Amino acid sequence: MTKLVSGDGRTHIQSRLMRESLQDRGVISQTESDRDLQVFPDVTLVSIGGQSIFDRGKDAIMPLVEEIVQLKRDKNLKMVIGVGGGTRVRHTISIAVDLGLPVGGMAQLVGAMEELNAILLNTLLAPHGSMPMQRDHFWDLPLYFDAGITPIAISVPPYHFWEPPPDAGHLPMHGSDFGLFQLAEVLGMKQVIYVKDEDGLYDRDPKKHPDARRFGKITLDELLPQLPDDNILDRELYHAWSHAKNLTRITIINGLKFGQLTRAMRGEDVGTVITKGAP
Amino acid sequence: MTERRTIESALSRSTMTGPGDQLDYRPTAVMPDVKVIKIGGQSILDRGRAALFPILDEIVAARQLGIQIVVLAGGGTRARHIYSIASELEIPTGVVATLGKYIPMQNARMLQMLLAKHGGIFMLPDDFEKLPLYLQMGCIPIMSGMPPFGYWEKRETGSRIPQHRTDAGVFLSAEFLGARRGLFIKDEDGLYTDDPKKNPHARHIKSITAAELVAMGLPDVVLERVVIEYLPRAQWCKELQVINGLVPGNVLAALKGEDVGSIIRA
Repeated sequence: MTKLVSGDGRTHIQSRLMRESLQDRGVISQTESDRDLQVFPDVTLVSIGGQSIFDRGKDAIMPLVEEIVQLKRDKNLKMVIGVGGGTRVRHTISIAVDLGLPVGGMAQLVGAMEELNAILLNTLLAPHGSMPMQRDHFWDLPLYFDAGITPIAISVPPYHFWEPPPDAGHLPMHGSDFGLFQLAEVLGMKQVIYVKDEDGLYDRDPKKHPDARRFGKITLDELLPQLPDDNILDRELYHAWSHAKNLTRITIINGLKFGQLTRAMRGEDVGTVITKGAP
Repeated sequence: MTERRTIESALSRSTMTGPGDQLDYRPTAVMPDVKVIKIGGQSILDRGRAALFPILDEIVAARQLGIQIVVLAGGGTRARHIYSIASELEIPTGVVATLGKYIPMQNARMLQMLLAKHGGIFMLPDDFEKLPLYLQMGCIPIMSGMPPFGYWEKRETGSRIPQHRTDAGVFLSAEFLGARRGLFIKDEDGLYTDDPKKNPHARHIKSITAAELVAMGLPDVVLERVVIEYLPRAQWCKELQVINGLVPGNVLAALKGEDVGSIIRA
């Protein structure tokens, strides 16, 4: 039975954490276990790059839309799509840095630029069944899947004015790659596929270094000590993943090559495949 | 293949993932005179009228002196109760953080009802840009201390509890606004070498740097650890002041800028 406890001037509800400091490592370790509940374990999150795909315009976007429409015919393939913001995000932040806006101000601003790409994509996909999903309306997802509607999620996480100070430099750490990773992680999804314009993750930026070496299939533990500074994904994503319990597979593919998304959706090893835990 | 169509800017060729950047950044303070103050959940609000009313009197007195104050509410025992049950169910941290939003919001609404006659205004995170209006009208804006991360709260190893709770909300709000100090009203005189409620030999610490505090490796600290981790990187909010709101005069003194309680410095 629930019981109210007083006597020290405060009124407590009886629980394992009653009267305790939530900063005490001994106390909070009681809340830990080696797994997290998986809410949607059969869903794939597909993230489409802003700079890499959308900034290239029609020639890059339309074949991907066509591929997604084909994938939608297979009702067993459940996906949520998110998009990046690309060059307009970089322009926004360049101006914001020059103005000296706080990092939380930058984080508040950038989401609007991703949303433009989300609206573009939805306009193209809507005739085939798609809808923008409100920020955290995850509990509508079973309805979306039953109805054959592909949700397009908001990719920038809601850190907004409260973006923490970055560990180096002046830019927000929690961008759209991280936001979509976290969405897939918290809902216990099957995998995340990042659709970019390179064949995966390289040890150096392949656009600047023709001799850059590509990672094929690699575990997160193997990758972390050699994580490239110039990275195709937000660095914070890898850090967050190392503490996470659910996601076991992240794939980075080339969206300019027709068919790679389909193969990745079907679980084939294509591009760079990063795994965590048992392979 | 069509090239990327790029808008020329200082970052147009950046992956924006490197650890540093060579940008010329001269920060602009948004509202540097604002005092961001947290009223503790377990420490104050769960004590009810006896503890809370004198504190509110001092906040109102400070506001009448022209001091601009934003009040953030903590959670307390109901937050601990839902965290406890959610943990048994192995609920992911991002969902736990979402559950954790509701109790500080209830507390903020209670504070608003009590402060309404003195200009208390309840705010959601989306109202944050209306702060100048509220403060220039002489109001006392009140919001939940919980930052709006919700489902996007990161998992930590060794705990299912969200790392960013209402202390983090105070620090991050002060940091965004460009305020030098974040204020925390609790039921102890600040920082101790151990939990003074359990260890009578715990010693009071008047002033300490974040690095010194981390080096002490205390099993328990008075503020969320993530805030102490962020403090040295802060651009503006370089001091965290923890005061005992049960001692008359402390809240008003702290709002006037006096060094009562404990101060943790960047």
